[in-house]
Amino acid sequence: MEHVIEINHLTKNYGKHKGVEDVSLIVDKGDIFGFLGPNGAGKSTTIRSMLGFLRFSEGNIKILGMDSVKDHEEILKNVGYMPSEAWFYGSMSVEDAIRYAADVRGLDCSEEAAKLCEALKVDTKKKIRNLSLGNRKKVSIVCAMQHKPKVFIFDEPTGGLDPLMQKTFFDLIEGYVSEGTTCLLSTHVLTEVNKYCRHAAIMREGKLIMLDSPKIGDEEFLDFYRD
Amino acid sequence: MKAIIFKEMKLNLGSFLIWSLSVGTMGLLCILLYQSMQGEMQQMADAFSDMGAFSDAFGMSTLSIATLTGYFATEVGTVHGLGSAMFAAILAVGIISKEEESHTGEFLMALPVSRIKVIAAKGICVVAALIGFTVVCGAMYALGFAALNEEMPVGDFMKFMGMMLLMNFEIGGICFLVSAFSRKNRTGLGLALVLLCYFYDLIGRVVPDLKDALVLGPYSYVNASEIFSGAETKTAAVIVAVAVGVISYGAAFAVYNRRDLAS
Repeated sequence: MEHVIEINHLTKNYGKHKGVEDVSLIVDKGDIFGFLGPNGAGKSTTIRSMLGFLRFSEGNIKILGMDSVKDHEEILKNVGYMPSEAWFYGSMSVEDAIRYAADVRGLDCSEEAAKLCEALKVDTKKKIRNLSLGNRKKVSIVCAMQHKPKVFIFDEPTGGLDPLMQKTFFDLIEGYVSEGTTCLLSTHVLTEVNKYCRHAAIMREGKLIMLDSPKIGDEEFLDFYRD
Repeated sequence: MKAIIFKEMKLNLGSFLIWSLSVGTMGLLCILLYQSMQGEMQQMADAFSDMGAFSDAFGMSTLSIATLTGYFATEVGTVHGLGSAMFAAILAVGIISKEEESHTGEFLMALPVSRIKVIAAKGICVVAALIGFTVVCGAMYALGFAALNEEMPVGDFMKFMGMMLLMNFEIGGICFLVSAFSRKNRTGLGLALVLLCYFYDLIGRVVPDLKDALVLGPYSYVNASEIFSGAETKTAAVIVAVAVGVISYGAAFAVYNRRDLAS
Protein backbone atom coordinates (compact mmCIF):
# COMPACT_ATOMS: atom_id res chain seq x y z
CA MET A 1 0.00 0.00 0.00
CA GLU A 2 1.34 3.43 -0.94
CA HIS A 3 1.99 5.73 2.05
CA VAL A 4 0.61 9.18 1.26
CA ILE A 5 1.33 10.73 4.68
CA GLU A 6 4.26 9.50 6.72
CA ILE A 7 5.13 11.25 9.97
CA ASN A 8 8.18 9.98 11.84
CA HIS A 9 8.89 10.90 15.46
CA LEU A 10 7.53 14.43 15.11
CA THR A 11 8.24 16.68 18.08
CA LYS A 12 7.31 20.31 18.20
CA ASN A 13 8.13 22.46 21.23
CA TYR A 14 6.73 25.90 22.03
CA GLY A 15 9.48 27.15 24.30
CA LYS A 16 9.46 24.84 27.32
CA HIS A 17 5.98 23.54 26.49
CA LYS A 18 5.75 20.46 24.25
CA GLY A 19 3.17 20.85 21.47
CA VAL A 20 3.48 17.30 20.15
CA GLU A 21 5.90 14.63 21.26
CA ASP A 22 7.32 11.79 19.19
CA VAL A 23 4.30 11.47 16.93
CA SER A 24 4.48 8.83 14.19
CA LEU A 25 1.65 8.25 11.77
CA ILE A 26 1.05 6.63 8.41
CA VAL A 27 -1.93 7.31 6.16
CA ASP A 28 -2.26 5.15 3.06
CA LYS A 29 -3.61 6.07 -0.35
CA GLY A 30 -7.39 6.18 -0.60
CA ASP A 31 -7.91 6.33 3.17
CA ILE A 32 -10.23 8.66 5.05
CA PHE A 33 -8.26 8.96 8.25
CA GLY A 34 -9.98 10.30 11.37
CA PHE A 35 -7.80 12.46 13.57
CA LEU A 36 -9.42 12.94 16.96
CA GLY A 37 -8.57 14.50 20.26
CA PRO A 38 -9.45 17.17 22.81
CA ASN A 39 -8.71 20.86 22.27
CA GLY A 40 -5.01 21.56 22.67
CA ALA A 41 -4.06 17.88 22.27
CA GLY A 42 -1.80 18.64 19.29
CA LYS A 43 -3.96 17.88 16.24
CA SER A 44 -3.62 21.34 14.72
CA THR A 45 0.08 21.46 15.62
CA THR A 46 0.59 18.20 13.71
CA ILE A 47 -1.39 19.45 10.71
CA ARG A 48 0.32 22.86 10.74
CA SER A 49 3.72 21.12 10.88
CA MET A 50 2.74 19.00 7.86
CA LEU A 51 1.86 22.12 5.87
CA GLY A 52 5.02 24.03 6.82
CA PHE A 53 3.33 26.68 8.97
CA LEU A 54 5.36 25.52 11.96
CA ARG A 55 9.05 24.68 12.12
CA PHE A 56 9.23 21.45 14.10
CA SER A 57 12.03 20.53 16.49
CA GLU A 58 12.57 16.85 15.68
CA GLY A 59 11.41 14.17 13.27
CA ASN A 60 10.41 14.31 9.66
CA ILE A 61 7.26 14.35 7.58
CA LYS A 62 6.78 12.92 4.13
CA ILE A 63 3.73 13.63 2.03
CA LEU A 64 3.37 11.80 -1.30
CA GLY A 65 6.94 10.63 -0.75
CA MET A 66 8.27 14.19 -0.60
CA ASP A 67 9.96 15.89 2.35
CA SER A 68 7.67 18.47 3.96
CA VAL A 69 10.49 20.98 4.43
CA LYS A 70 12.53 20.58 1.23
CA ASP A 71 9.61 19.96 -1.13
CA HIS A 72 7.14 22.23 0.60
CA GLU A 73 5.93 24.02 -2.51
CA GLU A 74 5.58 20.82 -4.57
CA ILE A 75 3.61 19.17 -1.75
CA LEU A 76 1.17 22.07 -1.51
CA LYS A 77 0.42 21.74 -5.23
CA ASN A 78 -1.10 18.36 -4.41
CA VAL A 79 -2.80 19.25 -1.13
CA GLY A 80 -6.21 20.77 -0.48
CA TYR A 81 -6.28 22.24 3.03
CA MET A 82 -9.24 23.56 4.92
CA PRO A 83 -8.37 25.39 8.15
CA SER A 84 -10.76 25.35 11.10
CA GLU A 85 -11.46 29.07 10.98
CA ALA A 86 -11.72 29.56 7.18
CA TRP A 87 -10.73 33.24 6.93
CA PHE A 88 -10.32 35.08 3.64
CA TYR A 89 -9.65 38.66 2.58
CA GLY A 90 -12.84 40.44 3.65
CA SER A 91 -12.93 42.92 0.77
CA MET A 92 -12.86 40.14 -1.85
CA SER A 93 -16.00 38.65 -3.34
CA VAL A 94 -16.46 34.89 -3.06
CA GLU A 95 -15.69 34.36 -6.74
CA ASP A 96 -12.55 36.51 -6.48
CA ALA A 97 -11.31 34.48 -3.50
CA ILE A 98 -11.94 31.18 -5.30
CA ARG A 99 -10.30 32.45 -8.50
CA TYR A 100 -7.37 33.88 -6.52
CA ALA A 101 -6.65 30.46 -4.96
CA ALA A 102 -6.66 28.93 -8.46
CA ASP A 103 -4.54 31.76 -9.92
CA VAL A 104 -1.82 31.31 -7.29
CA ARG A 105 -1.80 27.63 -8.23
CA GLY A 106 -1.48 28.68 -11.88
CA LEU A 107 -4.54 26.60 -12.78
CA ASP A 108 -7.91 27.20 -14.38
CA CYS A 109 -10.24 25.45 -11.97
CA SER A 110 -13.40 27.27 -13.06
CA GLU A 111 -15.26 24.15 -14.16
CA GLU A 112 -14.65 22.19 -10.95
CA ALA A 113 -15.24 25.32 -8.85
CA ALA A 114 -18.62 25.89 -10.52
CA LYS A 115 -19.59 22.28 -9.86
CA LEU A 116 -18.60 22.57 -6.18
CA CYS A 117 -20.33 25.94 -5.75
CA GLU A 118 -23.51 24.46 -7.15
CA ALA A 119 -23.34 21.40 -4.89
CA LEU A 120 -22.65 23.50 -1.79
CA LYS A 121 -25.03 26.32 -2.79
CA VAL A 122 -22.33 28.99 -2.60
CA ASP A 123 -23.39 32.53 -3.55
CA THR A 124 -20.30 33.63 -5.48
CA LYS A 125 -21.37 37.27 -5.77
CA LYS A 126 -21.33 38.00 -2.04
CA LYS A 127 -18.47 39.78 -0.30
CA ILE A 128 -16.48 37.53 2.03
CA ARG A 129 -16.98 39.99 4.89
CA ASN A 130 -20.74 39.43 4.69
CA LEU A 131 -20.55 35.65 5.04
CA SER A 132 -21.37 33.61 8.15
CA LEU A 133 -18.87 31.04 9.44
CA GLY A 134 -20.81 28.26 7.68
CA ASN A 135 -20.71 30.05 4.35
CA ARG A 136 -17.01 30.87 4.75
CA LYS A 137 -16.45 27.16 5.38
CA LYS A 138 -18.22 26.34 2.14
CA VAL A 139 -15.91 28.74 0.26
CA SER A 140 -12.98 27.08 2.01
CA ILE A 141 -14.20 23.66 0.84
CA VAL A 142 -14.34 24.93 -2.76
CA CYS A 143 -10.80 26.35 -2.47
CA ALA A 144 -9.53 23.05 -1.03
CA MET A 145 -11.20 20.84 -3.65
CA GLN A 146 -11.30 22.81 -6.89
CA HIS A 147 -7.82 21.74 -8.06
CA LYS A 148 -8.62 18.05 -7.43
CA PRO A 149 -5.66 17.44 -5.10
CA LYS A 150 -4.18 14.07 -4.22
CA VAL A 151 -4.48 14.77 -0.49
CA PHE A 152 -7.14 16.53 1.56
CA ILE A 153 -6.28 17.87 4.98
CA PHE A 154 -9.34 19.13 6.83
CA ASP A 155 -9.17 20.71 10.27
CA GLU A 156 -12.59 20.57 11.94
CA PRO A 157 -14.36 21.14 8.63
CA THR A 158 -18.01 20.67 9.54
CA GLY A 159 -18.37 23.18 12.40
CA GLY A 160 -20.85 25.82 11.22
CA LEU A 161 -22.21 23.70 8.35
CA ASP A 162 -25.87 22.68 8.48
CA PRO A 163 -26.64 18.91 8.43
CA LEU A 164 -27.49 18.91 4.71
CA MET A 165 -24.22 20.64 3.84
CA GLN A 166 -22.33 18.24 6.12
CA LYS A 167 -23.77 15.35 4.13
CA THR A 168 -22.97 17.05 0.83
CA PHE A 169 -19.43 17.67 2.06
CA PHE A 170 -18.87 14.00 2.90
CA ASP A 171 -20.46 12.92 -0.38
CA LEU A 172 -17.94 15.12 -2.17
CA ILE A 173 -15.07 13.65 -0.15
CA GLU A 174 -16.16 10.11 -0.92
CA GLY A 175 -16.43 11.00 -4.59
CA TYR A 176 -12.84 12.28 -4.74
CA VAL A 177 -11.55 9.42 -2.54
CA SER A 178 -13.10 6.89 -4.94
CA GLU A 179 -10.90 8.45 -7.62
CA GLY A 180 -7.74 7.99 -5.51
CA THR A 181 -7.58 11.00 -3.21
CA THR A 182 -6.55 10.52 0.42
CA CYS A 183 -8.15 12.44 3.28
CA LEU A 184 -6.93 13.36 6.76
CA LEU A 185 -9.89 14.56 8.78
CA SER A 186 -9.36 16.28 12.11
CA THR A 187 -12.64 16.40 14.02
CA HIS A 188 -14.38 16.26 17.38
CA VAL A 189 -17.45 14.57 15.91
CA LEU A 190 -17.41 10.85 16.64
CA THR A 191 -20.30 10.08 14.28
CA GLU A 192 -18.29 11.47 11.34
CA VAL A 193 -15.40 9.16 12.21
CA ASN A 194 -17.67 6.16 12.75
CA LYS A 195 -19.52 6.73 9.50
CA TYR A 196 -16.88 7.87 7.05
CA CYS A 197 -13.37 7.04 8.30
CA ARG A 198 -11.53 3.83 7.54
CA HIS A 199 -8.78 4.36 10.12
CA ALA A 200 -8.44 6.71 13.05
CA ALA A 201 -6.08 7.92 15.75
CA ILE A 202 -6.54 10.01 18.86
CA MET A 203 -4.18 12.66 20.09
CA ARG A 204 -3.96 13.37 23.77
CA GLU A 205 -1.50 15.70 25.52
CA GLY A 206 0.73 15.83 22.48
CA LYS A 207 0.93 12.05 21.99
CA LEU A 208 -0.75 9.91 19.37
CA ILE A 209 -2.66 6.70 20.02
CA MET A 210 -3.70 4.60 17.00
CA LEU A 211 -7.17 3.09 17.23
CA ASP A 212 -7.78 -0.52 16.18
CA SER A 213 -10.96 0.59 14.49
CA PRO A 214 -12.66 3.93 13.86
CA LYS A 215 -15.90 2.42 15.05
CA ILE A 216 -15.66 3.15 18.76
CA GLY A 217 -18.38 3.72 21.33
CA ASP A 218 -19.31 7.03 22.92
CA GLU A 219 -17.93 6.17 26.35
CA GLU A 220 -14.61 4.91 25.03
CA PHE A 221 -14.38 8.06 22.92
CA LEU A 222 -15.23 10.38 25.81
CA ASP A 223 -12.66 8.66 28.01
CA PHE A 224 -9.97 10.22 25.85
CA TYR A 225 -11.37 13.66 26.65
CA ARG A 226 -11.49 13.03 30.41
CA ASP A 227 -8.54 13.85 32.65
CA MET B 1 3.71 35.09 -7.38
CA LYS B 2 2.16 37.38 -10.00
CA ALA B 3 -1.30 36.73 -8.56
CA ILE B 4 -0.11 37.69 -5.07
CA ILE B 5 1.46 40.93 -6.35
CA PHE B 6 -1.76 41.93 -8.13
CA LYS B 7 -3.87 40.99 -5.12
CA GLU B 8 -1.66 43.08 -2.80
CA MET B 9 -1.80 46.02 -5.19
CA LYS B 10 -5.56 45.77 -5.41
CA LEU B 11 -5.93 45.54 -1.63
CA ASN B 12 -3.70 48.59 -1.16
CA LEU B 13 -5.04 50.66 -4.05
CA GLY B 14 -7.50 52.64 -1.91
CA SER B 15 -4.86 53.60 0.64
CA PHE B 16 -2.42 54.46 -2.15
CA LEU B 17 -4.89 56.78 -3.87
CA ILE B 18 -5.94 58.48 -0.64
CA TRP B 19 -2.38 59.12 0.52
CA SER B 20 -0.80 60.08 -2.80
CA LEU B 21 -3.66 62.36 -3.84
CA SER B 22 -3.89 63.93 -0.37
CA VAL B 23 -0.18 64.68 -0.06
CA GLY B 24 0.02 65.69 -3.75
CA THR B 25 -3.00 67.99 -3.39
CA MET B 26 -1.61 69.56 -0.21
CA GLY B 27 1.66 70.25 -2.02
CA LEU B 28 -0.16 71.57 -5.07
CA LEU B 29 -2.31 73.90 -2.96
CA CYS B 30 0.79 75.16 -1.14
CA ILE B 31 2.38 76.01 -4.49
CA LEU B 32 -0.79 77.69 -5.79
CA LEU B 33 -1.02 79.79 -2.61
CA TYR B 34 2.42 81.19 -3.27
CA GLN B 35 1.23 84.03 -5.51
CA SER B 36 -1.41 85.24 -3.07
CA MET B 37 1.20 85.28 -0.29
CA GLN B 38 4.04 86.69 -2.36
CA GLY B 39 3.64 90.24 -0.96
CA GLU B 40 4.13 89.12 2.64
CA MET B 41 6.89 86.67 1.80
CA GLN B 42 9.78 89.15 1.79
CA GLN B 43 9.05 90.23 5.37
CA MET B 44 8.70 86.60 6.43
CA ALA B 45 11.90 85.69 4.62
CA ASP B 46 13.82 88.44 6.44
CA ALA B 47 12.40 87.35 9.79
CA PHE B 48 13.02 83.65 9.18
CA SER B 49 16.57 84.13 7.97
CA ASP B 50 17.48 85.88 11.20
CA MET B 51 16.63 83.11 13.67
CA GLY B 52 20.11 81.62 14.12
CA ALA B 53 20.16 77.84 14.50
CA PHE B 54 16.48 77.53 13.67
CA SER B 55 17.03 79.28 10.34
CA ASP B 56 19.77 76.72 9.63
CA ALA B 57 17.54 73.87 10.78
CA PHE B 58 14.82 74.78 8.32
CA GLY B 59 17.30 75.84 5.62
CA MET B 60 16.06 79.40 5.53
CA SER B 61 19.51 80.88 5.94
CA THR B 62 20.54 79.49 2.56
CA LEU B 63 17.31 79.76 0.58
CA SER B 64 14.83 82.65 0.59
CA ILE B 65 11.23 81.71 1.25
CA ALA B 66 10.31 84.74 -0.89
CA THR B 67 11.22 82.81 -4.05
CA LEU B 68 8.98 80.00 -5.31
CA THR B 69 11.86 77.53 -5.08
CA GLY B 70 12.58 78.53 -1.48
CA TYR B 71 8.90 78.49 -0.63
CA PHE B 72 8.51 75.05 -2.25
CA ALA B 73 11.54 73.68 -0.40
CA THR B 74 10.33 74.96 2.96
CA GLU B 75 6.62 74.19 2.73
CA VAL B 76 6.24 71.28 0.31
CA GLY B 77 9.53 69.77 1.51
CA THR B 78 8.01 69.33 4.96
CA VAL B 79 4.60 68.19 3.71
CA HIS B 80 6.06 65.60 1.34
CA GLY B 81 8.79 64.52 3.75
CA LEU B 82 6.31 63.68 6.48
CA GLY B 83 3.38 62.58 4.30
CA SER B 84 5.34 60.20 2.10
CA ALA B 85 7.19 58.67 5.06
CA MET B 86 3.90 58.10 6.91
CA PHE B 87 2.47 56.37 3.84
CA ALA B 88 5.60 54.20 3.53
CA ALA B 89 5.42 53.29 7.22
CA ILE B 90 1.69 52.49 7.25
CA LEU B 91 1.91 50.42 4.08
CA ALA B 92 5.01 48.43 5.01
CA VAL B 93 4.33 47.86 8.71
CA GLY B 94 1.06 46.05 8.00
CA ILE B 95 1.68 44.27 4.73
CA ILE B 96 3.07 41.04 6.23
CA SER B 97 1.59 41.04 9.73
CA LYS B 98 -1.95 41.61 8.46
CA GLU B 99 -2.05 38.00 7.27
CA GLU B 100 -1.75 36.71 10.80
CA GLU B 101 -3.78 39.49 12.39
CA SER B 102 -6.74 38.89 10.08
CA HIS B 103 -6.19 35.10 10.08
CA THR B 104 -5.69 34.94 6.30
CA GLY B 105 -2.16 33.51 6.64
CA GLU B 106 -3.34 29.89 6.56
CA PHE B 107 -5.35 30.48 3.38
CA LEU B 108 -2.35 32.09 1.69
CA MET B 109 0.33 29.76 3.00
CA ALA B 110 -1.63 26.63 2.12
CA LEU B 111 -1.29 27.64 -1.53
CA PRO B 112 1.77 26.28 -3.35
CA VAL B 113 4.02 29.27 -2.92
CA SER B 114 7.08 29.56 -0.70
CA ARG B 115 7.34 32.12 2.06
CA ILE B 116 10.22 33.74 0.16
CA LYS B 117 7.93 34.32 -2.83
CA VAL B 118 5.17 35.70 -0.60
CA ILE B 119 7.60 38.15 1.01
CA ALA B 120 9.08 39.05 -2.39
CA ALA B 121 5.59 39.77 -3.76
CA LYS B 122 4.79 41.98 -0.79
CA GLY B 123 8.17 43.74 -1.01
CA ILE B 124 7.61 44.40 -4.73
CA CYS B 125 4.18 45.82 -3.90
CA VAL B 126 5.68 48.20 -1.30
CA VAL B 127 8.42 49.42 -3.64
CA ALA B 128 5.97 49.84 -6.56
CA ALA B 129 3.57 51.81 -4.35
CA LEU B 130 6.37 54.10 -3.16
CA ILE B 131 7.47 54.74 -6.75
CA GLY B 132 3.84 55.39 -7.76
CA PHE B 133 3.41 57.75 -4.81
CA THR B 134 6.51 59.72 -5.84
CA VAL B 135 5.33 59.92 -9.47
CA VAL B 136 1.80 61.09 -8.54
CA CYS B 137 3.02 63.73 -6.09
CA GLY B 138 5.87 64.83 -8.40
CA ALA B 139 3.41 65.30 -11.27
CA MET B 140 1.10 67.38 -9.06
CA TYR B 141 3.95 69.61 -7.85
CA ALA B 142 5.13 70.08 -11.46
CA LEU B 143 1.56 71.02 -12.34
CA GLY B 144 1.70 73.71 -9.65
CA PHE B 145 4.86 75.24 -11.10
CA ALA B 146 3.30 75.16 -14.58
CA ALA B 147 0.06 76.76 -13.34
CA LEU B 148 2.04 79.67 -11.90
CA ASN B 149 4.05 79.96 -15.12
CA GLU B 150 7.23 79.64 -13.09
CA GLU B 151 10.32 77.86 -14.26
CA MET B 152 11.04 74.70 -12.31
CA PRO B 153 14.64 73.81 -11.41
CA VAL B 154 14.26 70.37 -13.01
CA GLY B 155 17.58 68.91 -11.86
CA ASP B 156 17.11 69.89 -8.21
CA PHE B 157 13.45 68.85 -8.32
CA MET B 158 14.30 65.39 -9.66
CA LYS B 159 17.03 65.02 -7.03
CA PHE B 160 14.57 66.09 -4.31
CA MET B 161 11.95 63.54 -5.40
CA GLY B 162 14.61 60.83 -5.85
CA MET B 163 16.01 61.41 -2.35
CA MET B 164 12.49 61.38 -0.91
CA LEU B 165 11.91 58.04 -2.63
CA LEU B 166 15.13 56.70 -1.09
CA MET B 167 13.99 57.94 2.34
CA ASN B 168 10.62 56.23 1.83
CA PHE B 169 12.45 53.03 0.80
CA GLU B 170 14.56 53.19 3.97
CA ILE B 171 11.66 53.82 6.36
CA GLY B 172 9.53 51.31 4.44
CA GLY B 173 12.33 48.75 4.84
CA ILE B 174 12.53 49.17 8.61
CA CYS B 175 8.74 48.89 8.89
CA PHE B 176 8.73 45.85 6.55
CA LEU B 177 11.13 44.15 8.96
CA VAL B 178 8.89 45.07 11.91
CA SER B 179 5.98 43.57 9.99
CA ALA B 180 7.89 40.31 9.41
CA PHE B 181 8.45 39.96 13.18
CA SER B 182 4.99 40.98 14.22
CA ARG B 183 1.68 39.14 14.44
CA LYS B 184 -0.28 42.37 14.76
CA ASN B 185 -0.47 45.52 12.69
CA ARG B 186 1.95 48.01 14.27
CA THR B 187 0.76 51.18 12.56
CA GLY B 188 1.37 53.23 15.70
CA LEU B 189 4.95 52.02 15.84
CA GLY B 190 5.49 52.87 12.17
CA LEU B 191 4.16 56.40 12.57
CA ALA B 192 6.19 56.88 15.76
CA LEU B 193 9.30 55.86 13.83
CA VAL B 194 8.62 58.53 11.21
CA LEU B 195 8.10 61.26 13.80
CA LEU B 196 11.16 60.12 15.74
CA CYS B 197 13.33 60.29 12.61
CA TYR B 198 11.96 63.75 11.76
CA PHE B 199 12.52 64.99 15.30
CA TYR B 200 16.04 63.52 15.32
CA ASP B 201 16.90 65.45 12.17
CA LEU B 202 15.38 68.66 13.51
CA ILE B 203 17.28 68.47 16.79
CA GLY B 204 20.46 67.45 14.99
CA ARG B 205 20.30 70.61 12.92
CA VAL B 206 19.67 72.89 15.91
CA VAL B 207 22.25 71.37 18.28
CA PRO B 208 25.73 71.83 16.76
CA ASP B 209 27.24 68.84 18.64
CA LEU B 210 24.83 66.45 16.96
CA LYS B 211 25.54 67.54 13.38
CA ASP B 212 27.99 64.72 12.67
CA ALA B 213 25.45 62.11 13.76
CA LEU B 214 22.80 63.47 11.40
CA VAL B 215 23.84 61.09 8.60
CA LEU B 216 22.31 58.21 10.54
CA GLY B 217 18.81 59.63 10.17
CA PRO B 218 16.74 59.25 6.99
CA TYR B 219 15.81 62.93 6.92
CA SER B 220 19.45 64.04 6.69
CA TYR B 221 19.64 63.66 2.91
CA VAL B 222 16.15 64.88 2.04
CA ASN B 223 16.50 68.43 3.37
CA ALA B 224 14.83 70.33 0.53
CA SER B 225 16.54 73.63 1.32
CA GLU B 226 19.95 72.00 1.00
CA ILE B 227 18.98 70.26 -2.23
CA PHE B 228 17.50 73.37 -3.87
CA SER B 229 20.38 75.60 -2.74
CA GLY B 230 22.80 73.24 -4.47
CA ALA B 231 24.47 71.92 -1.31
CA GLU B 232 26.24 68.62 -1.85
CA THR B 233 24.45 65.57 -0.48
CA LYS B 234 26.45 63.71 2.15
CA THR B 235 27.53 60.43 0.56
CA ALA B 236 27.70 58.75 3.96
CA ALA B 237 24.02 59.50 4.57
CA VAL B 238 23.03 57.92 1.25
CA ILE B 239 25.22 54.87 1.91
CA VAL B 240 23.64 54.44 5.36
CA ALA B 241 20.15 54.76 3.82
CA VAL B 242 20.79 52.16 1.12
CA ALA B 243 22.44 49.81 3.63
CA VAL B 244 19.62 50.15 6.18
CA GLY B 245 17.00 49.62 3.45
CA VAL B 246 18.67 46.58 1.88
CA ILE B 247 19.53 44.97 5.24
CA SER B 248 15.99 45.55 6.53
CA TYR B 249 14.32 43.99 3.50
CA GLY B 250 16.84 41.10 3.57
CA ALA B 251 16.36 40.53 7.31
CA ALA B 252 12.58 40.50 6.79
CA PHE B 253 13.02 37.58 4.36
CA ALA B 254 15.21 35.69 6.84
CA VAL B 255 12.93 36.29 9.82
CA TYR B 256 9.70 35.38 8.05
CA ASN B 257 11.20 32.30 6.45
CA ARG B 258 12.18 30.84 9.82
CA ARG B 259 9.42 31.65 12.21
CA ASP B 260 6.20 29.83 13.10
CA LEU B 261 3.04 31.30 11.61
CA ALA B 262 0.08 31.95 13.86
CA SER B 263 -3.27 30.48 12.84
